[in-house]
Amino acid sequence: MSHAIHLEHLQYRAGKHFEIPNLDLHVPSGSIYGFLGPNGSGKTTTIRLILGLLRPLSGRVTVLDLPMPDQHAQILGRVGYVPEQPHLDATLTVRELIDFQAAFYPRWDRARAEELVERFELDGEHLFGRLSKGQKAKLMILLALAQCGDLLVLDEPTDGLDPVVRRDILSALITYVSERGATIFISSHLVHELERVCDWVAVMDDGRLITEAPMEKLKQGTKRLVVMGAPAEIVNPPFRVLTRESTNGGGTGENWVVGDWEPGMTSYFEGVGASVREVIDLDLEDGFVELLRSFRKGGTGR
Amino acid sequence: MIAMFRAVLYTQWKWSRLIVVLGTVAAFAIPLLSLQGAARADRGALQTQDLLRAVQSWGTLYPLLATALGLLMAMAAWAADHRGRHIHALTLPLARWRYVLLRFGAGFVLLAAPIAAVLIGSSLAVLTATLPPGLQAYPIALAVRFAFAVFVAYAVFFAVSAGTARTAGIILVVIAAAVLVQVVASIANLDVNLFAAAQTVLLLGPGPLAVFTGRWMLVDV
Repeated sequence: MSHAIHLEHLQYRAGKHFEIPNLDLHVPSGSIYGFLGPNGSGKTTTIRLILGLLRPLSGRVTVLDLPMPDQHAQILGRVGYVPEQPHLDATLTVRELIDFQAAFYPRWDRARAEELVERFELDGEHLFGRLSKGQKAKLMILLALAQCGDLLVLDEPTDGLDPVVRRDILSALITYVSERGATIFISSHLVHELERVCDWVAVMDDGRLITEAPMEKLKQGTKRLVVMGAPAEIVNPPFRVLTRESTNGGGTGENWVVGDWEPGMTSYFEGVGASVREVIDLDLEDGFVELLRSFRKGGTGR
Repeated sequence: MIAMFRAVLYTQWKWSRLIVVLGTVAAFAIPLLSLQGAARADRGALQTQDLLRAVQSWGTLYPLLATALGLLMAMAAWAADHRGRHIHALTLPLARWRYVLLRFGAGFVLLAAPIAAVLIGSSLAVLTATLPPGLQAYPIALAVRFAFAVFVAYAVFFAVSAGTARTAGIILVVIAAAVLVQVVASIANLDVNLFAAAQTVLLLGPGPLAVFTGRWMLVDV
C-alpha cells in the first residue's frame, strides 16, 4: 500500500510542556483519513510538521513520496491546505485572493474555482475580513480544491460552523475525492463528522498516537461487553481491554470496553469461567472516548 | 515566476498605494519648492548664497523622505504576513528565499514612482528656473542618489521587518547593551566611544548609510 503521508519516529518538542516523543503515521493514498484528538493533543503541530512549517528534532516525514522539508516547494505544489484559523489577508477581496492563489499553482483549475464560487454563493467583491466564519471556511476550501492537489490537509475545517455550511464543505470534499482520487487528511475533534466521511482514522492524545486503523475495523472492533463472573486477572486475551468496571447493580457483573473484538471471541470467557451476557456496538464517538480514557489511565492504546 | 511576481506586486500595491502616492507627490514637489524664486538671472553673489542655502535646507528632506518611504514600504510589505503568522506564505509552493525576493522586488518596483518623481520634479524645476551664473543643476545625480538612499533604507527596514518579534527584541537588546556599556565606560572614565565608532562605520564613506549624510544639492557650484 502506498502512503500519501508517512511519518517515521517523529520527535518534536515545543517548550517544556508539549512533546511528540515518537510518532509513526501512515496515511494510505486515496483515503479520507480522519485525525482525531481532543484540543491540545498535538493535531495541529503534527500537521505543521507534515507541511514543513515546523522542523522535527528527529525522524522522517515523507509526503507524496517526497522528503519534507527537503523538497517542500515541490510537495506544497501538490498539497491543498486549510489551516485551523483563517490565515488570508483580510484586506483582499475574494476575487483578489483567488487570483493571487492561481498565480502560484501550475495546476490551478479556474473552472472549478468559478464553479465553487457559485456553489458556495461567494461574492467576489467582498473583502475576506468582512466574510462570515462560514464564508471564510468555504473560501479556504475553494482555494485548496482549485489547486488540484493530490493531497488535501484540513485542520479542523468545519469547527464552529453551522450544519448547513458543514454539509456543503463535506459534500465538496467528497465530490473532489471521487473525481480525482486524491487523499484527504482531516483533523477534527468532531467525531460524528469524521465517522460519516472517513475510511481511516487515527486518534492522538498528549502528543502520542493511540490508534491508527481503518474506520470499519475500529468501529466493528470496539465493543461494550456485559461480562458475568470474570476473574480479577485475565491472561493473554485475544482482544484489547480498554476499560473494565463493575456494573451499577453490583454482583459479579462488569462492563468491559474492548478493542480488536471479533464475533467468535466470546468463547474466551467460557475458558476462564466467565460468560458474556451482552455485546453492545459502540459508535465512533463512544469508542473514541473509551480509547482516550484507557490511554489516560495508562493503557497502551493500540 | 512572472505571474507570481505580478500577484505579489498587485497585493503590495493595494497595501501601500497611499504611501506610494503621497511619497510620489512629495518627491515631485520638493525639488520644485527648493528652487522657488530662482528664476532671476540678475542675482548678486549674496542672493546666490541665499539660493544655495535654501536648496541645502530643502535638501535635508530627501534623505528623510527616502527613509520614511523605505520604512513604510517595508512595514507594508510584511504586515499581512505577520497578521497571518506567515502560514499562507510558508505554505505556498516556492522556496522561501524566492518569496522574500518577490516581496522585496515588488516593493522596490513600487518605489520607482517616487524616484521617478524626484527626477521629473528636479528636471522641471531646473528647466523653469534661470540659475545665476556659476551655478550648475544636478537633477540626474540627485535622482540617482535618492534612488540609492531609498534602496538602502528599504533593504534595511525590509530585513528588520521580516523578522519576528523575537528578532526585533534581539536588536533592541543589542542597542540597549551598547548604551549600557557606553554609560558604564563613561562612569569609569574609560576611553570607549561605541557610538562614535558606530557612526564612523555606518555613516562615513564607504559605510552603508553614508548616502544619507552630506549635502543633497539640486543646484550647486
